[in-house]
Amino acid sequence: MKSLITCLAVLFFFSSCEKIVDLDLSNNIDKLVIDANITNQPPPYEVRLTKSVRFSEKNEYPPVKNAVVTITDNAGQSDTLTYTSDGKYLTKNLQGIEGRTYFLTIKMDGKTYTAESTMPKKVELDSLTISVFKINGEDKKFIIPNYVEPNYLGNYYRFLQTLDGKFDKNYYVFNDNLNNGKSNQRPLQNNDDDFEIKSGSTVTIEMRCLSSNVYNYFFSLSQQAGGAFGSGTAPANSPNNITGDALGIFSAHTKQSKTIIVP
Amino acid sequence: MNKIVSIVCGLCLLMGCFGNVLAQKKCTVSGTIRDSQTGETLIGAFLRVDQKMQVGVSANEYGFYSLSLPQGKYVLKVSFVGYQEQKMSVDLDSSFELNWKLESKHSLNEVVVSTKRKNDNLTKAVMGTETLNMKDIAKIPVVFGEKDVLKTIQLLPGIKSAGEGNSGFYVRGGAADQNLILLDEAPVYNASHLLGFFSTFNSDAIKDATLIKGNSPAQYGGRLSSVLDVKMKEGNNKELSANGGIGLISSRLSVEGPLKKDQSSFIISGRRTYADLFLKASPDFSENKLYFYDLNAKANYKINNKNRLFFSGYFGRDVLSFGGNMGIDWGNSTGTLRWNNIISSKLFSNTSLIYSNYDYKVKIKSGETDFNINSNIKDWNLKQDFSYYLNPKNSLRYGFNTIYHNVKPSTFTGTVNNNVVKEGRKSLDNALYINNNFKATQAFTVDYGLRFSAFSILGGDTYNIYQKGIKTDSVVLAKNMFGKTYYNIEPRATANYRINEMNSIKLGYARNVQHLHLLSNATSSNPTDQWVSNSYNILPEIADQYSIGFARNFKENKYELGVEVYYKDMQNQVDYKDAADINTAPDVESELLYGKGRAYGLEMIAKKKEGKLTGWISYTISKTERLIEGINNNNWYNAKQDRTHDLSIVGIYQLNPRWSLSGVFVYNTGNAVTFPTGKFYLDGQTVFQYGNRNGNRMPANHRLDFSATYERPKKDRIQSSWNFSLYNVYGRENAYTITFEDVPDDATKTQAKQTSLFRWVPSVTYNFKF
Repeated sequence: MKSLITCLAVLFFFSSCEKIVDLDLSNNIDKLVIDANITNQPPPYEVRLTKSVRFSEKNEYPPVKNAVVTITDNAGQSDTLTYTSDGKYLTKNLQGIEGRTYFLTIKMDGKTYTAESTMPKKVELDSLTISVFKINGEDKKFIIPNYVEPNYLGNYYRFLQTLDGKFDKNYYVFNDNLNNGKSNQRPLQNNDDDFEIKSGSTVTIEMRCLSSNVYNYFFSLSQQAGGAFGSGTAPANSPNNITGDALGIFSAHTKQSKTIIVP
Repeated sequence: MNKIVSIVCGLCLLMGCFGNVLAQKKCTVSGTIRDSQTGETLIGAFLRVDQKMQVGVSANEYGFYSLSLPQGKYVLKVSFVGYQEQKMSVDLDSSFELNWKLESKHSLNEVVVSTKRKNDNLTKAVMGTETLNMKDIAKIPVVFGEKDVLKTIQLLPGIKSAGEGNSGFYVRGGAADQNLILLDEAPVYNASHLLGFFSTFNSDAIKDATLIKGNSPAQYGGRLSSVLDVKMKEGNNKELSANGGIGLISSRLSVEGPLKKDQSSFIISGRRTYADLFLKASPDFSENKLYFYDLNAKANYKINNKNRLFFSGYFGRDVLSFGGNMGIDWGNSTGTLRWNNIISSKLFSNTSLIYSNYDYKVKIKSGETDFNINSNIKDWNLKQDFSYYLNPKNSLRYGFNTIYHNVKPSTFTGTVNNNVVKEGRKSLDNALYINNNFKATQAFTVDYGLRFSAFSILGGDTYNIYQKGIKTDSVVLAKNMFGKTYYNIEPRATANYRINEMNSIKLGYARNVQHLHLLSNATSSNPTDQWVSNSYNILPEIADQYSIGFARNFKENKYELGVEVYYKDMQNQVDYKDAADINTAPDVESELLYGKGRAYGLEMIAKKKEGKLTGWISYTISKTERLIEGINNNNWYNAKQDRTHDLSIVGIYQLNPRWSLSGVFVYNTGNAVTFPTGKFYLDGQTVFQYGNRNGNRMPANHRLDFSATYERPKKDRIQSSWNFSLYNVYGRENAYTITFEDVPDDATKTQAKQTSLFRWVPSVTYNFKF
């Protein structure tokens, strides 16, 4: 939608202008942030606990060191995590297996937070292809992750893209509402000027298969990121799967990667 | 229900008691009031009896009037703003027809926003009503120099612009979809072009526009906040004429003339923007398209003295595309066929058959794959309206309205999608109404009425039932089956008491019900916003508005002061849930939540209506809130259109007969929005934390605009004028959006970035008429 503003600007012989503004956003309430993941890859798995800070502060998030973190699953595994550093807690021997449901419990300062997440079955990432789009007169290359959607509804995906070692901060989350049972044709479209896939670029795509509540969480984040020009819904803290008023998400997902060198 | 029963009884009593007021034989004088040069009917022209100042009648929207008087000799006077008053002595011994032709005053010292008579604001039982005629708005500066009814209306109290340069508006705390916008009776579902920078109303084709802020008479219904009733010109029935304008962004041309002299006429008016031609000049944008066009046409045919037919139509389309990969186009088309029938000197009938269609198409193409989204809303509408001029004290309006809606929600199709073609949802929207304008005494007037509406869901689709977003049941309705019907009784009343020659007080109550809802959370009007009709989840929205007002005129009605206070209570309001999927959810109803709303405020206007300097100051202080279970921890929150202060100052100065200058200053509190208050780190990046829904404010908006108009001396038959305007004179950077991001070169910080659109927009327009 950004190109629309530029387009309107040219159209009306004036330039829209941008400036950095100072807003009073000081009324924030610091909350516990849970960033917990279980994957189908070999253990250990990490739970990171930090606190949120005010918008105006530096991007330094205080780690939480004094929590007791346990993860169990519906097949009888149980693990109490060990604190390492920087708010990170690691599992010891718990295995991430497709189809199982995992339960997270965090006890901290007399409060208990719980979350539950089911790891879906993996959908195979077959290959990556490059597609070319014409945007404002210029050719732009985007990656299409190729996979065949299973023939039943309720499959959710998230893609993470790295271009020449640089992590792309856009959220790419897909569902199967529109293309259930078909092969994917939707590209990972990043229109930023400073993001350019060129001949010789190395692009790595990580594909995650998610459960619906994890998808909803990241879908909501993707909406906030793009919701500037009259689009999207009013932003709110993304609905998560944690009870006990904490931010973040507990995600049990499958994980696989492919890398392509752009011809 | 008891309340309603007692209101109905009250109505009957009031109507019963005027039957035997006078035993003396009465005669009726009736006819039409028109402009002598063009033959256009003059809506709202006022006819009165010279000897009895308070006995009179206004011409209806077809220029028809009827007045019954005891036998005798009278002097009748007809007056209308901008026209010479006319007088006629009549000897009324039997009923007869009397048609009037008024001479237009070529005075340049015109009132700016006119009520139809100089002291209408004191005498009429109308509340929260504003009328604009096209002559009036021509001199008020607007962005891009294109005079625009919708943008001028936003300068009046209680009416707020949806955003800078936006033709969307909010009335008394209502959302943008709660305005009933009618073009020759046909509802217009999206009144904006180019994402709201222009409205769909080409001012060359328009005769007048009236906005009623919630206290509408019973013949109007279907929206909570307001009625904007726009009437197209009928065309000159004396001679062929053309007028038009050439501007930087767009040009327009209208042709009008008689089909048969003094009997029938037509008008065709077209407009197109051509700024996209400049896009072609820039290599970066050469493959982009961005334009709109629209066409208004109207014709009327006089069958005989008692019967007249009208046809009017509108067609407009916007086209927007980026480099051949992506395109959106959208537009409205409407058609109205009307039959005016003067059944008797006291009874006037109008029958209308109306068609209205709004649709949009989005096309996305990449390589071999296509992807389309489209949606439309189609109405067939039959209206029967009677005006019955019972006696000088009572004039009645009654009739019915039946609308068949077909609302097709956005549907995705394409080469890689499952083409689930969604059926349109059909419904039948019926209403019966009766309204009486009762002039009880010289000083006391009441306008009261009742509207009974019945909205039926029709078959042909499956309706899911959700509890807090989770599907619990579904109803399959076969084609042509009737589903649920929602019945509502909507009482309306306004009363006006004139304390003395200078002061009057007004009271009003109205209930309005709305059956179609626009799902939009956007800040600007978006062509892809979806309309949905009542279903098993979405209930009719209901608003009860209470208002009280005071009006005072000074110095022989040269100055006017108006104050109104309102309180509005709204039920069954619709909003998206947090993190709603508004695009791909198979059933958008799963993404909705419902609750209530309230709005209250104080509106003030002070006008100077005559003299070299005319204009007004309008100020509104207001509050609008919502309470929806599942949003903001179930607490009241500010609606996005909640703005505390709203101020407009409009001034027009007639320098000399050729030059006039005008200026507009506006100030308003920023919209209620949700900004991030905090942040945290998740999965490799910064994520924002939010506080209360709409708990923050955009920065306040203000700006000053100037314009100058030069009217050239008339040469041969050509009349022309130049208009120069400068929008945002002091280059205020008003915030259009604010986005939040990591500082690009410093990963340890975040920043808020504001985008503004218009600084110093100059424009020149040349207007001509011959």
